[in-house]
Amino acid sequence: MEAVEYFEVECPEEAGREYYRRITEVVLLDHNLLRVIQKLHIFIDPRVPIFVATGLTRKLPSVVRVRDFADVNAREGGVTISIGDEAYLAPLLRMLWGKYGKEHVNQPDRFTVILTPGEGDEGISDLPVYDPSESIYKDLIYVLQVIQPEGFKVRKQYYGGNRFYLVASEDTLPEDVEDLVRQKFALMGVEG
Amino acid sequence: MTHVPVTYKGGIYRHDEIIDLIEDLGGYIIQKHVIAQEIVLQALVPREDIELIRRIGKPLTGEISPSPLVGAEIAVVTPSLEIHHLPHASCDVAEYIRRFGAKTNMVGLARGFGKRIAQLNDEERDVINEHDLAVYLLGDFEACIERKFPVLRRGIDVPIVLCGGPPTETLKKIVDPPVDGYVGGVGRFMHRTKESEEIDKLEEVVGEVTRVLDRHRDVLARDPLSISPARLMDIVTENVEEIQDVLSPTPITVQMRGLRVKLPYDTFAPVIRKTVVDEGVTIGDLSTVLPSRMRDYILVRIKPFSETNLVI
Repeated sequence: MEAVEYFEVECPEEAGREYYRRITEVVLLDHNLLRVIQKLHIFIDPRVPIFVATGLTRKLPSVVRVRDFADVNAREGGVTISIGDEAYLAPLLRMLWGKYGKEHVNQPDRFTVILTPGEGDEGISDLPVYDPSESIYKDLIYVLQVIQPEGFKVRKQYYGGNRFYLVASEDTLPEDVEDLVRQKFALMGVEG
Repeated sequence: MTHVPVTYKGGIYRHDEIIDLIEDLGGYIIQKHVIAQEIVLQALVPREDIELIRRIGKPLTGEISPSPLVGAEIAVVTPSLEIHHLPHASCDVAEYIRRFGAKTNMVGLARGFGKRIAQLNDEERDVINEHDLAVYLLGDFEACIERKFPVLRRGIDVPIVLCGGPPTETLKKIVDPPVDGYVGGVGRFMHRTKESEEIDKLEEVVGEVTRVLDRHRDVLARDPLSISPARLMDIVTENVEEIQDVLSPTPITVQMRGLRVKLPYDTFAPVIRKTVVDEGVTIGDLSTVLPSRMRDYILVRIKPFSETNLVI
């Protein structure tokens, strides 16, 4: 957890606190999210019961565009896209199919995609293919749901800017839950 | 002749000689595993013959070791089988107990999670009661265990070993009336048990289970069963041919007080009841043959001597 600037687990029970500290570390590590999180504060009170996780993310990697992983060449027969990193092939194809139609997108081999006929290559290399922040937030919320005690089915979650939080309980959430979240953010030195 | 539970591990070559030997000595093979070139036998053998088996097994690279839990069926009860409890906390404990010869079944409750909302339904209760012992694996907070454990133990009449995150003393303090065994420091965790102190914890669970079962055996010994479950298993295997076609790892599971026979109840219960054990005595005379809540299996509960006036 060295990569995380601030990490605290707050809980009235000592044994439970240590367990949740370990659980959080392991789950974040397993889901490869340690380097995404800058600050994380977890508050659990089993007597209420309530679970609150608040945190900040680091600056997220920017949107991946076609030029980041492929070369685009316009020839007579069409535009040839040579792919360098296969990781983004699936979202690229999905995007091209949506934009040009399946009949205009050919893939003769694993690393080549040809657009026919005669589409100009202007702009293709700037097309956004994949936005990592979308899936990172989804993953973050999923991970917090794994960390939280099981059976806390009443949830409120938020992500936006570089902040995220998740509040969960098995009972109806109290009305002043926003205040609680604000308090926990304040503990990390984040205002508002 | 007292039988002791043992595990025999050895090569597959000439292993049938060991099986014959154990049977000739009056022992019982409870379970036989063939793993590639290796064979693992869980058996009950006469105490005085262990040396003999060891001597005969030696040239066949066989090893014999005591396994205190052979012949017991244990339920490992977890609040759910969701990602919060699987695979680590529940599987590691269930698997570790299995290494000592017990047959463990995992019981994931449908609505066992949460504090206020935890429930135990009648099917779960009956299934747990069909075992010799239940290991409850609960969570990390004493406030939750204190509140939900009374609900989860309602109607359970088999011995319980309670595991949870808080220290053992805390568990003892918050559980009322007391259960048979406690192991603290085994709560919900999300990693594999690999470090030595975690393995020690698993050892502690097995130690506690063994202690509770030994005490339970002593209680049973005061009014002994009319027939030993292992012997009854042999009789059923010999007389009910269809058991050979059952593909489960253990077509007949031996318990401390009876058997679970994995054949459909409606068809085979009358057959089992009428099976002759000894001149004029049938299984129906010595035991109660009941439908199990687990699939449509048959549960055979052996009656004690005080009810039948027979010991075979």
